[in-house]
Amino acid sequence: MNRRFSITRLFSYGFSALAVGTVMAMFVLLFIQSLRVWQYEGLGFLTGTRWFYRQQQFGAAPMILGTLITAFTALLLAAPVGIGAAIFVSEFLHPRLRLTVKIVIELLAGVPSVIYGLLGVLYLRNWIYELLTPFDPLSGDTLLTGAVLLAVMILPTVMTLSDDALRSVPAIQRHAARGLGLNSTEVALHIALPQSARGLLAALLLALGRAMGEAIAVFLVVGRQDNQWPNRLLSFQPLIQSGQTLTTKLASSETNIAYGDPLHWAAICGLAWVLMVMVAGITLVSIFFSQRHVP
Amino acid sequence: MNDFGFRLLISAGLAVSVVHADTLKINGSTTVNLPVAEAAELLRAEKKMDIQVDTQGGSSGGISMLGEGLVQIGMASKHVNDEDRLKFPKSTFKEIPIGEDAVALIVSLDVWEGGVKSITKAQVKDIYEGVTTNWKQLGGPDKRIAFFNKEPGRGTWEVFANWVYGDHKKAPQVSFPEVGGNEETRNKVASTRGALSQLSSSWADGKTVFALNIKVESGELIPPTNENIATKKYPLSRPLFLLTNGEPVNEAKTFVDFVLSDRGQALVKKHGYLPLAELK
Repeated sequence: MNRRFSITRLFSYGFSALAVGTVMAMFVLLFIQSLRVWQYEGLGFLTGTRWFYRQQQFGAAPMILGTLITAFTALLLAAPVGIGAAIFVSEFLHPRLRLTVKIVIELLAGVPSVIYGLLGVLYLRNWIYELLTPFDPLSGDTLLTGAVLLAVMILPTVMTLSDDALRSVPAIQRHAARGLGLNSTEVALHIALPQSARGLLAALLLALGRAMGEAIAVFLVVGRQDNQWPNRLLSFQPLIQSGQTLTTKLASSETNIAYGDPLHWAAICGLAWVLMVMVAGITLVSIFFSQRHVP
Repeated sequence: MNDFGFRLLISAGLAVSVVHADTLKINGSTTVNLPVAEAAELLRAEKKMDIQVDTQGGSSGGISMLGEGLVQIGMASKHVNDEDRLKFPKSTFKEIPIGEDAVALIVSLDVWEGGVKSITKAQVKDIYEGVTTNWKQLGGPDKRIAFFNKEPGRGTWEVFANWVYGDHKKAPQVSFPEVGGNEETRNKVASTRGALSQLSSSWADGKTVFALNIKVESGELIPPTNENIATKKYPLSRPLFLLTNGEPVNEAKTFVDFVLSDRGQALVKKHGYLPLAELK
């Protein structure tokens, strides 16, 4: 083994350590900053449904629910479109066109989220408000509006990663299948899709993580109404009402108010920690699925 | 996510932000921002000053960022209270009044045309506490009241709560959909049927959103006109401030002096606020 001193190796070790260290430090720091609220509320911080900071009640459940509802609804909307588009692009489009389409879609992923938010305020809110008129919503600020906006935002992620997953199915398998007389639709549905299932799942989970962490766009259209805990958990009612997610709370003016009040500040840091754990958990599961097992 | 991370870092005081010596940083209320941003524009062009104006977190954002030394000038549409001073014991907040503004209670077109043109303090209190939920109860159309509450910490909200409850700290905590800056408030009220919110009166354009008259105990209707604000007849008015840490110095002083000059005061007036000379 080559034991010669190498600057390159030193730096790559150093930078890797820095990256890992930063992530760990964020987890630890946020947890330490939020200790006081865990001592004060205990697990009630996660299960409590009332958040009234001036009465020192800190229950994050409605925000956790808001985050889950918006993110999963967004995924539900984006998944069929994204995977459908990926199948078309990877299986049916001419290779040269495929690259062009892929670049355009990846450009979409680079649009700053505040732009999506402004488009949401200007158009989407009003469209959804009119669309929901039969259900008599109070305004166009609903969890559904946030979810639709998120769906558009995560679509490029779903699509481009699904396309990668589909392309990673070896060409020889497609040729063999065609040789056996399957047409291209059958190859796509019965060969490419099942073979890339794990990769597709990883793509969806990564998109879900993105949806959970998105703040500003959702902030502008979700209504930011606290303490929205539905009477029945499995109903569509929360979707067409205003709500609050973890990120919108963190982006609100309450962070300015909380600073200086140790308990309130700890509660805000607690929300940030919970959000980090949720997103990190999903990303880890997604990485697990994206590891391709050796055939 | 970026913005959130950024806020978290500055709020936590973790970011070692070195305020560049030549950059004048200003942050705070979206209400005060209008004349200030224009003044900054003029000074950038005329004196080649490097000025950044931002409106993160409204008035309390301005107060806390000044308190932490991240900006040299804060903008606030409310007084710096004892609580704020306690939070930042190292700062001596100096309030420099630059004008006066009123908070209007604004409604959407359907409410206005449905016949609701005025409101009393008791009626507002009932709406805020969820007792009144339909405009029919106020002689208007049969439509649920979509009340958008200004975020706590906003100057507009404090003026409103001080009026209804005597002291904003006595206001009950309620859960309504919240709105932040003035543009967002106006846009959402204008595009929602049955909407009501609190908004700086200079933003109540009378085309998309409509300012209700305040009906006082004598039965008189008081619209938020400049005259009524100047004489304090209209009850929801508030001073507008630039805040500095102690006496303003260097670029900050140049800026404050400009806003207080005739040209600066003309900008205050241009944006619909009362300049200092017209008060009292």
